[in-house]
Amino acid sequence: MDIRLAVRDAIQNIAQEPLPDDDSGSLFSEGVIDSFGLVELVSELEHVLGVKVPDDELIPSRFETVDKIVAYFQARA
Amino acid sequence: MAQLLGFGAHLPEQVLDNAALAAEFGVDPAWILHACGIETRRVAAAEETVVDLAEGAARVCLERCGLAAAELGGIVVGTGTPQRQFPGVSASLQQRLGAVGIPAFDIHLASVGGFFALATAVELCRSYGPILVVGAERMSRVMAREPRIKETAILFGDGAGACIVAPGEGPLSVVDIRMQSDGTFADQLSLESDGPLAMDGRTVILQANRKLRQSIGELLARNGLTAAEVDLWLFHQANLNLLRQVGKGLGIAEDRVYVNLARYGNTSAASLFIAAAEAQAEGRFRSGHAVLAAFGAGMGWGSALVKVR
Repeated sequence: MDIRLAVRDAIQNIAQEPLPDDDSGSLFSEGVIDSFGLVELVSELEHVLGVKVPDDELIPSRFETVDKIVAYFQARA
Repeated sequence: MAQLLGFGAHLPEQVLDNAALAAEFGVDPAWILHACGIETRRVAAAEETVVDLAEGAARVCLERCGLAAAELGGIVVGTGTPQRQFPGVSASLQQRLGAVGIPAFDIHLASVGGFFALATAVELCRSYGPILVVGAERMSRVMAREPRIKETAILFGDGAGACIVAPGEGPLSVVDIRMQSDGTFADQLSLESDGPLAMDGRTVILQANRKLRQSIGELLARNGLTAAEVDLWLFHQANLNLLRQVGKGLGIAEDRVYVNLARYGNTSAASLFIAAAEAQAEGRFRSGHAVLAAFGAGMGWGSALVKVR
């Protein structure tokens, strides 16, 4: 599975604003996802990618940009 | 086995609405409602202390339960906003109620304080008899500290709720109750002695959603129940969006979740019992099962199953 594509798709389904073209842009400061969108996003990616994020790794900064999210799930795929 | 004899609540009279907060922070009142689902909160008067609030709820609870203070076996108060370091709110409350000679102590936790006090009382009542449990908060004193931040200022209100826990079975029997803590994210929701409330909202929401769902899922599994078989859900009234998200994740029908957050905001340790008192007054405890659950700073969380007959 193309993890980057899956991540971008998941964000797009939750996003309140258009996804930035730059995958290193902050999804938080750009208003793309809020705190509750973040919960949905992590849950959706766990489901789609079959990876459980442990409680102690549920840290917002890990999921702040598309690049960081992709890196996180690639490392655990 | 322990039972909940009844609940009580006390809210200060002064109302703080979204228009006033919106004007202060230069935001649209609709943004506040969208962010947390809160329309108004109650704010204690200048001379009104957290002990006053606790006493108000305790007296209502005692009256509803038909119990005299002299019949109590103990007092446990959950609060994150005591007015002094020690002795606790419980000592002042005990003095006012005249219930001397029984153990009285505080559980110094915020949002989960009421629940932890309840879980402690469930164990304690077997040896000491009826325990008065109070959740009381004067959050406005904390919220007044500079710098005021809109994300937290919009959330909190003052108030107190109470419950009496007694040994044995009754109309509201506690079948199962469990509390848990994890200090990994302790700094993400904290209050220094004279500082403002520090809250990393994203971390709190992520953890609260995960921990509440886990706790409740395990509670239901231990007792051979599904979420659909629970008739009433009482949560710590933290944020409407969080309640909806947890409810959605567990497959809970929205009309089974008791919510009074819009009127009182997040009253921290008090919210669970204020909600329970109102739910009871409205006849929402119907034959079947109720679940009580809370999450808060620590992080601490827990859930309880109550058999209603």
